[in-house]
Amino acid sequence: MSESVENERLGRVLAALLRYGTWAASTLIAIGMLSGAASRISGTADAGTLGYGLMKTGVAVLIMLPVARVLVLFGIFLCRRDLAYALISACVLAILGFGVWIGMHS
Amino acid sequence: MSAETIFWLFVVSFGASALGGVLGMASGIFIVPILMLFFGIDIHLAIGASIVSVIACSCGSAAPFLKARLTNIRLAVVLEVATTLGALTGVLLIGIIPTEFLYGLFALILVLSALQMLARRREAGSLAPAARSWGTLLRLHSSFPECAAGHDVHYHVSRVPLGLALMYGAGVVSALLGVGSGVLKIPAMDSALRLPLKVSTATSNFMIGVTATASAGAYFMRGNIDIDMAGPVALGSVLGALLGARLLMGIPADRLRLFFVVVLMLLAIVMMLAAFGIRIM
Repeated sequence: MSESVENERLGRVLAALLRYGTWAASTLIAIGMLSGAASRISGTADAGTLGYGLMKTGVAVLIMLPVARVLVLFGIFLCRRDLAYALISACVLAILGFGVWIGMHS
Repeated sequence: MSAETIFWLFVVSFGASALGGVLGMASGIFIVPILMLFFGIDIHLAIGASIVSVIACSCGSAAPFLKARLTNIRLAVVLEVATTLGALTGVLLIGIIPTEFLYGLFALILVLSALQMLARRREAGSLAPAARSWGTLLRLHSSFPECAAGHDVHYHVSRVPLGLALMYGAGVVSALLGVGSGVLKIPAMDSALRLPLKVSTATSNFMIGVTATASAGAYFMRGNIDIDMAGPVALGSVLGALLGARLLMGIPADRLRLFFVVVLMLLAIVMMLAAFGIRIM
């Protein structure tokens, strides 16, 4: 398979991941917001807790989406035996992981 | 936070993102000043909410560029090493540097954004690659389909070390201010790396999400992201970016550009005054 065809396929895979991931996260946030609003109006605490949980999950999905994108790239570079780029992707993943570690310990 | 405040956070983020989308501009630069000035939110919480919306907009708008083969994926991965390292530096610095400095830096970025909006971007023109340049060694030279020409246009990636240094700075600013730093990334790609304009726009947008995630992950774990605030801001921004530009296509871009320049300069003045301890709102 030529490199340009491979890159086109790679572009389509990443586009689908980012597009559907964004919609999934946005849907979670939207349902969470509506659920939270309903609980504030009706005064039911359960719906508020559920709404907050859904919004938090949606925000977490958004934050994880670029990590998933780098992870997919790492896997694809590894499959292609492009070790230089697999290593560079792994470096980016390590830096992202280090960011989370800093957040947990500061 | 009241349901009414959450609703207004959504509406304002949608509006800023939709208007910005008409000019191909991310709304991140507006979110922090809006949250601070109109909602009275602390700058650190505003930065946390804004950085989530930056990720949402970058991920939500990347697909068309990827499908059109405008994004240089290899280059993005290489530059992300620098932007994420810069973002981590920003995460470490944000607790140390005074808030007044953040206001001043924000004012500077707002002025740069206004100037960039006034100036037209120009193609720098590709340089012939050296056999042992970083661009050649890392196989960064690529091509993109040019509809007008009817064939692929080849381009070379120059001065990668300079590009990496500038991207590191863009990463620091992104984490410190909760913005995508497109205002710094795009000139770095246009002028230092000498990429074609379409490629630099697509590649910058692709990288912004990963850069922002480096700091957002830390802020999320630290508890600096208020979910009640980040949720509606992210949702409003992503819907504004995706739907707003289509809804507002009738607005003349030149007038909107001028309007944005004025708003950016006014926000810069307010931020600069805040840097000297003068609050007007």
